[in-house]
Amino acid sequence: MNIKILDSWLREYLKTKVKAEELGKYLSLTSVSIEKIEKVTQGQSKAPPGTVAKQRLGLLPGGLKMTGQTEDYVYDIEVTTNRPDLMSIIGIAREAATVLSQEGKKAEYTEAKYKNNFKPQEKTLEINIKNDPKLVNRICAIIMEVKIGESPEFIKQRLEASGIRSLNNLIDVTNYIMREIGHPTHVFDYDRLDTKTLIIRESKPGEKIITLDGKIHTLKGGDIVADNGQGEIVDLLGVMGTENSVVTEKTKRILFFIDNNDPQKIRKTSMNLGIRSEAAVLNEKGVDPSLTISALLRGIELYQKIADAEIVSNIIDIYPNKPEVKEIKISQEKINEVIGINIPLKISTQILKRLGFHVISKRNNLNITVPSWRNNDIEIPEDIIEEIARIYGYYKLPNILPPLLKKGPYHLEDDPLYWERKVKNTLIYWGFTEVYTYSFVSENLLEGPPEEALKLSNPLNEDMLYMRKTIVPSLLEVIKNNEERNEIKIFELANVYQPRPNDLPQEILTLAAVIKKPNLNFYEIKGIVEQLLNGLGIKNANYKNRQKGGLGADIYIKNDYIGEIEILDDNLSNFELNFEITRKYTTLKKTYKPIPKFPPTIEDVRLTIDPKISYQQIVSTIKTQSNLVVEVSLLDVYEDKKTFRIKYQNPYKTLTTEEVTKVRENIYKALIKEFKVKIT
Amino acid sequence: MEEELLKIKNDASTLIFEAEDTDELNKIKLSFLGKKGILTFAIKNLSKIPIERRPEIGKLANEIKNTLEILVEDKEKALNIQKETKIEKKHIDVTLPGIKPQLGHLHLVTQAIEEITAIFEKIGFERVRYPEAEWDWYGFTALNFPENHPARDEWETFFIDRKPHPKYGPMILTPHTSSGQIREMERRKPPIRMLNIAKCYRRQSDVSHTPMFHQMEGLVVNKNISINHLKGTLDYFARSYYGEERKARIRPYHFQFTEPSFEVDISCGVCKGKGCKLCKEGWLELGGAGMVHPNVLKNGGFDPKEYTGFAFGWGIERVLMMKEGIEIDDLRTLYSTNLDFLEQF
Repeated sequence: MNIKILDSWLREYLKTKVKAEELGKYLSLTSVSIEKIEKVTQGQSKAPPGTVAKQRLGLLPGGLKMTGQTEDYVYDIEVTTNRPDLMSIIGIAREAATVLSQEGKKAEYTEAKYKNNFKPQEKTLEINIKNDPKLVNRICAIIMEVKIGESPEFIKQRLEASGIRSLNNLIDVTNYIMREIGHPTHVFDYDRLDTKTLIIRESKPGEKIITLDGKIHTLKGGDIVADNGQGEIVDLLGVMGTENSVVTEKTKRILFFIDNNDPQKIRKTSMNLGIRSEAAVLNEKGVDPSLTISALLRGIELYQKIADAEIVSNIIDIYPNKPEVKEIKISQEKINEVIGINIPLKISTQILKRLGFHVISKRNNLNITVPSWRNNDIEIPEDIIEEIARIYGYYKLPNILPPLLKKGPYHLEDDPLYWERKVKNTLIYWGFTEVYTYSFVSENLLEGPPEEALKLSNPLNEDMLYMRKTIVPSLLEVIKNNEERNEIKIFELANVYQPRPNDLPQEILTLAAVIKKPNLNFYEIKGIVEQLLNGLGIKNANYKNRQKGGLGADIYIKNDYIGEIEILDDNLSNFELNFEITRKYTTLKKTYKPIPKFPPTIEDVRLTIDPKISYQQIVSTIKTQSNLVVEVSLLDVYEDKKTFRIKYQNPYKTLTTEEVTKVRENIYKALIKEFKVKIT
Repeated sequence: MEEELLKIKNDASTLIFEAEDTDELNKIKLSFLGKKGILTFAIKNLSKIPIERRPEIGKLANEIKNTLEILVEDKEKALNIQKETKIEKKHIDVTLPGIKPQLGHLHLVTQAIEEITAIFEKIGFERVRYPEAEWDWYGFTALNFPENHPARDEWETFFIDRKPHPKYGPMILTPHTSSGQIREMERRKPPIRMLNIAKCYRRQSDVSHTPMFHQMEGLVVNKNISINHLKGTLDYFARSYYGEERKARIRPYHFQFTEPSFEVDISCGVCKGKGCKLCKEGWLELGGAGMVHPNVLKNGGFDPKEYTGFAFGWGIERVLMMKEGIEIDDLRTLYSTNLDFLEQF
């Protein structure tokens, strides 16, 4: 939440000589964040007729000189959601006085005192308010005769500096109080409330209202509304007034109405209807109900000053939900343990008292009573520690690294991140570029039955409806989006999501890559997969025809299916690996084989063979003929001819011609018998 | 005999092919084709085979001899050319571009994650990951979020269309890495030093938000952990990642799962903390931090009377953008699929 306030307005409640910039700095460090301090110049030229007269009558604060130019500052303040009390002049003034005093600067918070000894009225106008304590904590109200008109210049300036448009004196007072005290207020045209009845109730689904900005809204039900007793809604409490009851240019009598509402109901209404008025933003955070009456009294004062108000009713104060008074105990040890340095109880007490807490110090303990405006955010001793520590100044605490831990042993091989880094870096150095695509996809990109995928119940849009079960479609989108390129190599390492009954989905880390390249060959992409796995220490992957059909291969390690290679067309191919299963087989283990002392015999053999017979079948046939065959490699494939190089070696002695001849003959025989090859 | 000849041919051709210089080649030539060479010797022994096979074998022997001579000659030429190139001082334009092997690009987010991980591992943090699709309990309830907290609204958090868990509530996409705090505490005994970096999801998309993003979360729990330790860790990170001259500071803030809570700022690298257009009075907001809320410790199974802890967390994307030279004007660009963008890094 952000508010803007004028420096001169703040200084009505904060007596200090500290300059705006310094004040801003200290507040940022210890309280609210001052996002910006803007210097503004205000002068007489803008003042409408009547300003000077009002000033003479003492209706303008003394600090603001209206003759000549005045320098002023606007603070743009970010307030955290737990501190709606700081969305106000008086809240900030109280904090600032505490902070500055702690820093050794002279500063004082002047508490506002409002007149509250009104005589009972003889002639009173009637309003019949029936509250529902489940919806509204407190209602304060009064009826006044008023003169509508323009607001005096200082009110206009203060409101406008706060980012609120000045409309007329009757409306301006409500906004002025909201900014000054931090409690939203409302004003009805008393005469337009023809039944003189306000029944506070929950809205029913489908009820329609027109808000004061002229917009028609259909309510979802459960909103806090005021009913005129005849079923007509005359106010949407805490969010925005309705068009049928607000003040107009003709207003002569007002019902000034302060409602302190259930925050959750307000949040729901505000979000459902998309009305993010400042009143709603404040009310949904929870406003201190002890301020409800202050707001009313301040309002009376202001209406009397700037709208010639005459009171024509007694003060109505319906207060069913008084918050309980909170007490918290805390020890010196606890304070020091969390903050990490010794802060004397005397200083803690001083800080808390300035913030409005009631503190009794007993030996090493503090007994603390929480002020009403902090009732929603102070619960436990740690909350008190925060108050002490921040005002004391976080910046004064030392920087110390936490002590090192005793840990168990570390195994690089078991560290999944090591393998992920390795795969990514390998691919990078082979020219692949890493992409990150969204985990959610459209039904179109899902590839598979939607009922077998995880579905979002509130997607941002239809393109982000399902949690993906494969990464490839997202990568193909990337290819599509870079259509002008002839060659692309991309990859992504990310989770896919496999639903499980009555449990969280299985999140499977998956590696996917797509290559686009003219006349792409299956063996190029297979080679990448093979070498990638080799780099992970996996030498025993095997490749089978795809079960799904289509061009490509299914990849296995032992009996585990780990992924697939897919040929989409002559230019486009991809692979996807289940990295979790692959990880089961990754290893850093290396085995040393003595380098053979005796020379190998190397022979090339050219076979004419049925192309349907796989390379693997041929190689394993050759290898099984003798353990003297140490290596078989493919040199060349041309139509139905394949040339193999066979390496014979005996680690213990030099091979004789006879030994090689015998093995060669066996190989030839086996090849001819099994595959009907022709050897050339 | 035939086999013997073939073997000689195979051996010789392999050796010739692999010879590295002319000396070696000459030795090979001598040992096969010289007066006392293996092949010469074999040819001399032709007289020992039956007369009817002599023409056939003789022809084969001659063919092999010819082949080997050609091989030696070719190899000699090749070696000489190689030698010449080595010796000849050709003119080289050293400014011409080299013939580059292909080099891809790691995504910026990966690069940031790797650097951050390395920095924290040096001071004993262990990187972990926890579920992205998570129960409400871990994402909100156990982190002390009240039932009606706005972050739990369906316009802020993604919900998954599944039956809620009887104990842990609805299934969500985790909106922050803080859900890992409870998971970590459930998994380990103190002391804890966790670095959780993972994908997170929030229902928003604009220039500074993407519905999927990455967060990092630090968690330290032990006896006697204080605000000073958090400050020390943040300061170490700021100086390690952004540079020796940068500073970190903490300011009051509010989070449900920490008390006290802080906002973490890093001093601006452009104006060196003096204040400029790019920063707020010399500081840039980095993220949130705080002392672990006693309720959160309790929910993680730790006794808050015995243990204290701190936590900090922020977006990886944010960390990145605060690095000089990477002020990306629209965060969504990171997850766009524009290769011209990705290839810059």
